[in-house]
Amino acid sequence: MLSRQASQEAAHTVNAAGRKRNRWWMTVMPLYLFTIFFVALPIVYLFVLSFLTRAQTWGVVNEFTLDNYLKILKPVYLNTFKESFQMAVLTTLGTLFIGYPFGYLMAKLPKKTKSLMMLCVVIPFWTSALMRMYGWIILFRSNGLLDKVLMGIGLTDSPLKLLYSYPAVLVGMVYSLLPFMILSVYSSTDKMDWSLVEAARDLGATRWTAFFTVTIKMTLPGILSGIILVFIPSMGLFFIADILGGGKVMLVGNLIQNQLQSGRDWPFAAALSVVLMVFTSMMIWIYRKATGVKDLEGLL
Amino acid sequence: MKKGRKSLALLLAAALVSGCLSGCGNNAGEGGQDNAPASDGTTAASASEKKENAGELNIYTWAEYVPQDVIDQFEKETGIRVNYTNFEANEEMLAKLETSKGGEYDIIIASDYIIKIAADEGLVKEIDKEKVPNYSNIDPIFQNFFYDPDNSLTVPYGPGIPLLVYDPSAVTCEITGYGSLWDPSLKDSLALMDSERVVMGMALKTMGESFNTEDLDVIQAAGDKLMELAPNVRVLSQNQTQDFLLSGEVSAAFLFTSQVVLALNQNPELKVVYPEEGLGFGVDAAFIPSQAPNSDNAHAFLNFILDGEVGANVSQQTYYLCPNKASYEFLPEEFQKSLVISTDDVPNGEFIQDVSPEATALHEELWTKFKAALD
Repeated sequence: MLSRQASQEAAHTVNAAGRKRNRWWMTVMPLYLFTIFFVALPIVYLFVLSFLTRAQTWGVVNEFTLDNYLKILKPVYLNTFKESFQMAVLTTLGTLFIGYPFGYLMAKLPKKTKSLMMLCVVIPFWTSALMRMYGWIILFRSNGLLDKVLMGIGLTDSPLKLLYSYPAVLVGMVYSLLPFMILSVYSSTDKMDWSLVEAARDLGATRWTAFFTVTIKMTLPGILSGIILVFIPSMGLFFIADILGGGKVMLVGNLIQNQLQSGRDWPFAAALSVVLMVFTSMMIWIYRKATGVKDLEGLL
Repeated sequence: MKKGRKSLALLLAAALVSGCLSGCGNNAGEGGQDNAPASDGTTAASASEKKENAGELNIYTWAEYVPQDVIDQFEKETGIRVNYTNFEANEEMLAKLETSKGGEYDIIIASDYIIKIAADEGLVKEIDKEKVPNYSNIDPIFQNFFYDPDNSLTVPYGPGIPLLVYDPSAVTCEITGYGSLWDPSLKDSLALMDSERVVMGMALKTMGESFNTEDLDVIQAAGDKLMELAPNVRVLSQNQTQDFLLSGEVSAAFLFTSQVVLALNQNPELKVVYPEEGLGFGVDAAFIPSQAPNSDNAHAFLNFILDGEVGANVSQQTYYLCPNKASYEFLPEEFQKSLVISTDDVPNGEFIQDVSPEATALHEELWTKFKAALD
């Protein structure tokens, strides 16, 4: 009797567990569907498109070719990748240089000030990124605000041609991607165990040694997720180069846009996108290998 | 608690990402903005259908290219509800038109070369001239062009000739044509169009070649010549390029007709140059897509804008040449004066037309190289 009841109960729990497992599967279905339709299929489409041939005047014909990839090897286009890479590296260094101290100090603020700072970091994102770029134009343009101030205090005597240049684009990139770095660094500094730093100090380390041996190591996941969050978009962003570069700075993003519009060469644009994706995935892989960091602050 | 903070940070990061993406989206073609008025339009249209039942008209063109008061007047006179959707680039328009297989839109206003492709793809409907009595108002010098040799598919809307404009107080050399732009004294002080065929076309013209040559050696030579222009280019821009000239950011610019007029209105001291090497010419024309859902309304609209008074109103607001001979009497004299181009110049202008894929690819490559030399 007792054993029968026990087995029945056992059966119940098995059933329940089984049902539970089934239901669990159902709940993740939307996620799978979403991923298949909005992530996997577009990538497959892009990949297939990159092997097709451009039609005479408009569209694509279904003829397999490797030309789109071979074309990327031309010095002109390799150079565009090089320029983009350079811009991305400089942008990442720029955000790290400003964002690390910012995020670090923000995490050490008292609680109330901290949330206020957080708000300040996020507020610019309530306005369109495009709008904020036009703000930089007002500052930078000839006889603009910056020129007037500089000439007013006598530092320069004629308008500087600051706008429509590589540095202007770099400033715009660093500006728009900085919050990603700040928030990543902040988040890892904030949860750091400060007693480790105290221990290092007790054992005779100077402030700097303690910072470099303990703090940097402990916040490395934050730094890396910041780097990834900044580096990847900066490889692809094209509207900043267009607006602050006056159409003169051509990054991979601009090249892809050009191929889609005036070039009307969609397969080539697709090939460029595929190479860009492979390249950025490789960068992530290298970051992880080089540092051995597994947990990228919730990323990856 | 710490966990809570972390998820807060992640949440904020997510908000940032979406903010940044929406920023990109805006630029990528104003997709978001496009959709909003369109959907508004449909709901409003169903409301007005109950009242008038005159249906609707879907216009697809650049932002603000059809003046609002013209649309209002059309809606008032016909009871047809207009949905205005805008695109940023001709190619974007054709891609959408192709996806909808020539449907969805009733009137599209776009540039000559793209209309040619659309017509070749069978996406353009023949105009029923019975339904457009005002068709005869079109000035014949704006007809018989390559994109519509039989004058059966299009109505010219905004014809223009791009010209050089400079500020005489800022320029020391004499500017007579495209070739003058290579002068070293113009270092870092030119605004050009951000369009490879137009800028390459300038270089081709200085060599006495056609815009549309398919000779790869000639195109290559023009590209080499263009590289020498790089130090003089201050900015490349398609929209509001006259502002760079007016603000003193540049001292000379190559401008579309509408931009030339706007620049002169603001600063009459500016000098306009008809490039001695030869003029370019372009027409933005209206056409009805092959599967337009409201074809009758589209014909009504074409007839409406071809009306003399309406046409004059359109030209005065778009600042392009007026292709409507019935409109001439309605155009004020100062408009004739401010529109520096006379229709006599039209036959001298050369269209930029589609060239072979090889030539296009070479243009694209040389343009990329040119841009790399600019920054």
